[in-house]
Amino acid sequence: MNMGRILEDVIRKNSANTDRITAENTIGYVVAENSTGVVAESSFDNTSAQAIVKHMHGVLVAAAQSMVRDLDPPNKLCYMRVATRKFEYLIAPEEVFTITVLQ
Amino acid sequence: MSAEVEEMLKRFSAFKNVQGIIVVDNDGIPIKTTMEYTTTVHYAALMQTLAEKARQVVLDLDAANEFVLIRMRTLKSEIIVAPSDDYFIVVIQDPCD
Repeated sequence: MNMGRILEDVIRKNSANTDRITAENTIGYVVAENSTGVVAESSFDNTSAQAIVKHMHGVLVAAAQSMVRDLDPPNKLCYMRVATRKFEYLIAPEEVFTITVLQ
Repeated sequence: MSAEVEEMLKRFSAFKNVQGIIVVDNDGIPIKTTMEYTTTVHYAALMQTLAEKARQVVLDLDAANEFVLIRMRTLKSEIIVAPSDDYFIVVIQDPCD
């Protein structure tokens, strides 16, 4: 319940930003909660979104974050861009959520 | 191969906000670096794991796709890892914004 309320607030505050982002060259986005890996919002169908969360967030972001801290403890990962041949993933891990945009 | 590596290093070092460049071969051994040794080895080991994971993740999500570049923006710097056939390059630079 609490997470739902936070999410609504965040979405309302950032709707202008979200519209701008989705109007550009994006393929889609996924917003997932950090602790549970539950997909909160997505423009993809649930299976794909879940797969993206499981792979990207679970494996790659976690590895990158621990690596950044390993190199320099006070440092932390702010965002990541993974460019592939077909498109690019832009990943922003926040405190509660992680947002991934594909473009 | 080493001629083009030298050429790349020269090109990248010309940028003012580059803190360091490391070229790592497929075994995780840094073959060229502009930073001091302990840091280089540390970065090389970690980046190799990360590059490998990234390759796996992209492949799992779409078997026809392959990863080309990773950029990580941290508080203090930006780290770019680019894979290639025989080696991969790590560049550490000041964040541009």
